Amino acid sequence: MGINKNKTTKNSIDTRYKWGFYIAIFVILIFVPIVYQDNSRIMHILVMCVIWGLVSEAWNLILGFANVFSFAQLSFFAIGAYTSAMLTFYGGISPWYGLIAAGLSAALVGALIGLPCLKLKGIYVAIVTFSIHLVLPTIIVWGGQARFKYSTGGTFGLAGLRPFSIGSFSFGRNRLYWYFAGLSILFLTLFIIYKVINSYIGMAFIALRDSQEFAKSLGVNDYKYKIIVFSLSAFFTGIAGAFYVHYSSIVDPSILELDIFLLILVMVVLGGLGKFPGGVLGAFVITYTNEFLRFTGQYRYVILGLIVVITLTYLPGGIIGALEKLYFKVKNKSET
Amino acid sequence: MAIYVELFIAGLVLSSIYSLMAVGLTLIYGVTKVLNYAQGSLFTLGAYIAFLMFNNFPYPNYFIVVILTLIFMAGAGLLFEKIFIYPVRRLPDWNFIVIIVTLGAALLIDNLFLVIFGPLQKTLPRAFSGSFNLGILRITKHNLFVIVVAISVLLLLDQFLSKTRMGMNMRAVAQSEIGAKIVGLNINKVYSYSFAIAGILAGIAGILLTPRTLIYPLVGWPVFLKGLVVMVLGGLGSIKGTLYAAVILGMVEIFVSFFWGARWAMPIFVLILIVVLVFKPKGLAGTWE
Repeated sequence: MGINKNKTTKNSIDTRYKWGFYIAIFVILIFVPIVYQDNSRIMHILVMCVIWGLVSEAWNLILGFANVFSFAQLSFFAIGAYTSAMLTFYGGISPWYGLIAAGLSAALVGALIGLPCLKLKGIYVAIVTFSIHLVLPTIIVWGGQARFKYSTGGTFGLAGLRPFSIGSFSFGRNRLYWYFAGLSILFLTLFIIYKVINSYIGMAFIALRDSQEFAKSLGVNDYKYKIIVFSLSAFFTGIAGAFYVHYSSIVDPSILELDIFLLILVMVVLGGLGKFPGGVLGAFVITYTNEFLRFTGQYRYVILGLIVVITLTYLPGGIIGALEKLYFKVKNKSET
Repeated sequence: MAIYVELFIAGLVLSSIYSLMAVGLTLIYGVTKVLNYAQGSLFTLGAYIAFLMFNNFPYPNYFIVVILTLIFMAGAGLLFEKIFIYPVRRLPDWNFIVIIVTLGAALLIDNLFLVIFGPLQKTLPRAFSGSFNLGILRITKHNLFVIVVAISVLLLLDQFLSKTRMGMNMRAVAQSEIGAKIVGLNINKVYSYSFAIAGILAGIAGILLTPRTLIYPLVGWPVFLKGLVVMVLGGLGSIKGTLYAAVILGMVEIFVSFFWGARWAMPIFVLILIVVLVFKPKGLAGTWE
């Protein structure tokens, strides 16, 4: 485990540069909202950046690192959203507990989905998870019948969800508080994901990716690790879903639309599939770009689809991959 | 009693559509190992092209229009492979990336439909209007046509795969791509042919089904997803298994829709999918590793 940790080999990035990059992002994320705190539109975009960053980094963990074709990420998002919404709406509990309950229920559903299908080849996982995504709206609309005591609200959803509050102080509509609350969750998540990637679990996935047969013959239990990472990813996504519904104060089945699915896919792909802060970086770039592209009207999703195809074909590492390439180019030049 | 016979025939019609869809998917997966998420978009493309032809072609005979559409669809399948699949194949782990690329391509194409044709629904004519009356039983001619076309297309495909040179090449690539390369087969050509055939199959399914469902930009998704379930249930890469699975799932869908409502068809499909994956992961035919 600890081999070569502090030495830089030819194919590893100097940790000083890596941490310099992380700290630069950290500082930007802290100071940008303070500059823009009076512009409510930009603040809204920033809050959405944080939420989508959480979702796409969790997706990147399962899709990029574990190489599991999970297309159920938005389902976990919706499950977390509805869990927290219904618990706070009917049960009257604090949204903070709703956040944790949302994460746990999403992780539970993730484990239940993962147990049968993670044993199989990747293509099956892609099919099962994607069909679950498309079945969920039917179930949510069905759960909205008036005869149910705890109805999901059907196509109209549940409105008037409570915002977060600390003691008697409510976040209300002040987006600066929402941003920093979301950012703290995001940093905590990123820290855990970083730890997971650099633990023996991450090592196992690298081994499985490089040579599956050899890794398995050494006794790497990919099934166990995949379940762990799958549930972990679902947990973070569920939390993001709960955060989103308390921020927008309404939950309805439109969060499962294919457009949003595409949006998050673009974020993961553009940021860098399987590169560490790729999801977050992609989320910030794409959420801004998406707002910027509003004037193109219906062409917006055509452009986003093009970004997915072109990035994957010509730049499979995304932005982070491009930065790494640039770094190695400069490094090799200075050495020779 | 007559109602059950009518339901049975409606189930066969659905089975025919699903088998066309699923065989296209299976063919692509079997030969090129690509899970094509854009198969539903090819289905929608076929329907839209036929719609354009019917409205703008100076001599709108049904069969001429259909044949022209299918020629166009073969070209579209070929072009799809050249644009989206071929450039990805030079990457080291392309088997993984290509699935996401086809998903991106599907969303790209569907949104292009939305831009070009608008969200309004379009109608496509049926091959034959009217129906046969057999005592208390009524079968529309179009439904009968769907079943006949599906069976003949699948028989033709079977002949193509077992008798012709290109069909044998495709089976060889399906068995071992490296082996096929060693004996000097042109892999690129085999890939192009697979996608062209899958395009034709999706086009036929689109032309046959959309007179009933109307055409809108996302019309291909439900059919594509049911095709996926059929493909898995049948055992990936096995055409015979796919046929059995299509018949079973077509019947299940019709009876579920009749007793509980159409929106429960997909949840039941997913339930069947998961149960099958747990207990019989190789599908009905189980020829695939």
